[in-house]
Amino acid sequence: MMMPVLVIIFIFSYIPLFGLVIAFQNYVPGSDFFGPAAHWAGLKNFTAFINSYYFGRIMKNTIVLSLMGLAMGFWVPIVFALLVNELWNARFKKIIQTVSYLPYFVSMVVVAGMILTFIANDGLVPKMAALFGWRITSLNTNARLFPWLYTFTNVWKSFGWGSILYLSTISSIDQQLYEVAYIDGADRWRQVVHITIPHMVPLIAIQLIFAVGALMNSNSELILLMYNPSVYSTADVIGTYTYREGLIGGRFSYGTASNMLMSVMSFILVFAANGISRRVADFSLW
Amino acid sequence: MRKKASLSRIVIAIVCSLAAIATVYPMYYVLIMSISDPMEVVKGNIFFWPRGLYLGSYRVIMSDIQMWRSAGYSVFYVASGTLLMLLTSVLLAYPLTCPHLYGRKPVSVYLVITMYFSGGIIPSFLLYNALGIYNTIWAMILPGYSIWFVMLVRTYFATIPRELSEAAFMDGANNYRTLWKIYLPLAKPVLAVVAIYSIVGIWNSWFGALIYLADKSIHPLQLYLQRVLIAQSVDLTKIDQYTDRTVMEELVRKTLTARQLKYAMIIFVSAPIIMVYPMFQKHFIKGVMLGSLKG
Repeated sequence: MMMPVLVIIFIFSYIPLFGLVIAFQNYVPGSDFFGPAAHWAGLKNFTAFINSYYFGRIMKNTIVLSLMGLAMGFWVPIVFALLVNELWNARFKKIIQTVSYLPYFVSMVVVAGMILTFIANDGLVPKMAALFGWRITSLNTNARLFPWLYTFTNVWKSFGWGSILYLSTISSIDQQLYEVAYIDGADRWRQVVHITIPHMVPLIAIQLIFAVGALMNSNSELILLMYNPSVYSTADVIGTYTYREGLIGGRFSYGTASNMLMSVMSFILVFAANGISRRVADFSLW
Repeated sequence: MRKKASLSRIVIAIVCSLAAIATVYPMYYVLIMSISDPMEVVKGNIFFWPRGLYLGSYRVIMSDIQMWRSAGYSVFYVASGTLLMLLTSVLLAYPLTCPHLYGRKPVSVYLVITMYFSGGIIPSFLLYNALGIYNTIWAMILPGYSIWFVMLVRTYFATIPRELSEAAFMDGANNYRTLWKIYLPLAKPVLAVVAIYSIVGIWNSWFGALIYLADKSIHPLQLYLQRVLIAQSVDLTKIDQYTDRTVMEELVRKTLTARQLKYAMIIFVSAPIIMVYPMFQKHFIKGVMLGSLKG
């Protein structure tokens, strides 16, 4: 029963893995992957990438964007879940939650498109700034602004959805604990700190491990939608670089090599994060 | 828990309201800009309320044949893709829950490896070329599987009591009948989750089409939007379907900025999803929970 699907999986997931060998070759479309006619190049593509002007920039951007996303985005769903949990009017609570899911369903293209029109010279943001007397221009070519825009967009789009998991966890806490605490004289703040948050710690730890493991991944699609050549210095990450140089630019071997390098580093990072967590907190994913 | 109108509760309610407003405001702004009078749009004084009512932008947008064609292709990709997702997930999950089937462990490993290792976009691109599906609709339909969904369905199938399938076998049913008559009806919740995630995911996807589809006429809607909003390679003011315009209409039409047309398109394309998603809240919340439990 499984055979047809397994075959499809083989074709689409495993054969590309074989294709990774072109990272070790001077691949030109039409040449062989294996056999005597393949142009082997050893680690040349990898060293070229590491030594290239762009390697440092890409590493820096990837890490900076991810760390910013973590610093500003990790806690938002958690805090939002805690706040929403405090709402007593059930209908208001439901409305707030439903509204918060809206950005998740709007497509990334639409969101990026909106942001780009907002920061354009005659868009919403300069117009609002003008109300305060500030003159702002050329926001979309401002490289220093890009990380903030990207992080803000990411957080805006995902915090509502991200809070679902936390809210479910909170709602599974035994209500009696709260009542007992109330009888013992704890006010709401103490109840939250001593009951709610400790129950959420395992989930937060898992999410944190995932987040750290994904440090080397960026939302390349969003960056691809929001960036332009003027902001490459802070926006270019491996995903966008591979697409631009490797695919569009036709440097297949080089692009594959650079992508592979970052994937390997990312993989090591996941293992490391998990290992560290196991040693330090006695908590791990596997 | 009794209701107290304490200061902290009021503050919390206000903060939540602000968060909700911040979430909605961008789309709201786009909406009011798209229905305002074009002259006011150019002046740009609009922040909270539309100024003047003008639906001409929508009239222009709706006459955009390219958009409708892309939307049609998107619907096709979503339907075929979701169907394929359901098919592959179920066909893989069911055998994996049969305890007497040999090779379950190797197959599981085979599947999990693909979750962590992938060739990247360039080997995949070369593969599509070699298969001859580059620049065809098959490039959008074909992969059609997600190991994550397989795991989800498998976890759910595992909760269905074995006695049911054993009873079916004793009555002479083979695997396919058991799957069809017993497991599938019971698995409706998880299938709904897979369907919803697939629909939303495929509808909003554009990057695959960017890489594999050079033929603009089969682009999905999101890629068409990308050309309109991001790459700015589609000039909406050039949409010209009316040949019987009066002079007045002509003047008005010329003042329609590309900006307002873009806003109208954003609203037009997003409105269906926005109006529909609240109805499926229950399902995708459940999906998040099921997904987080996967082993």
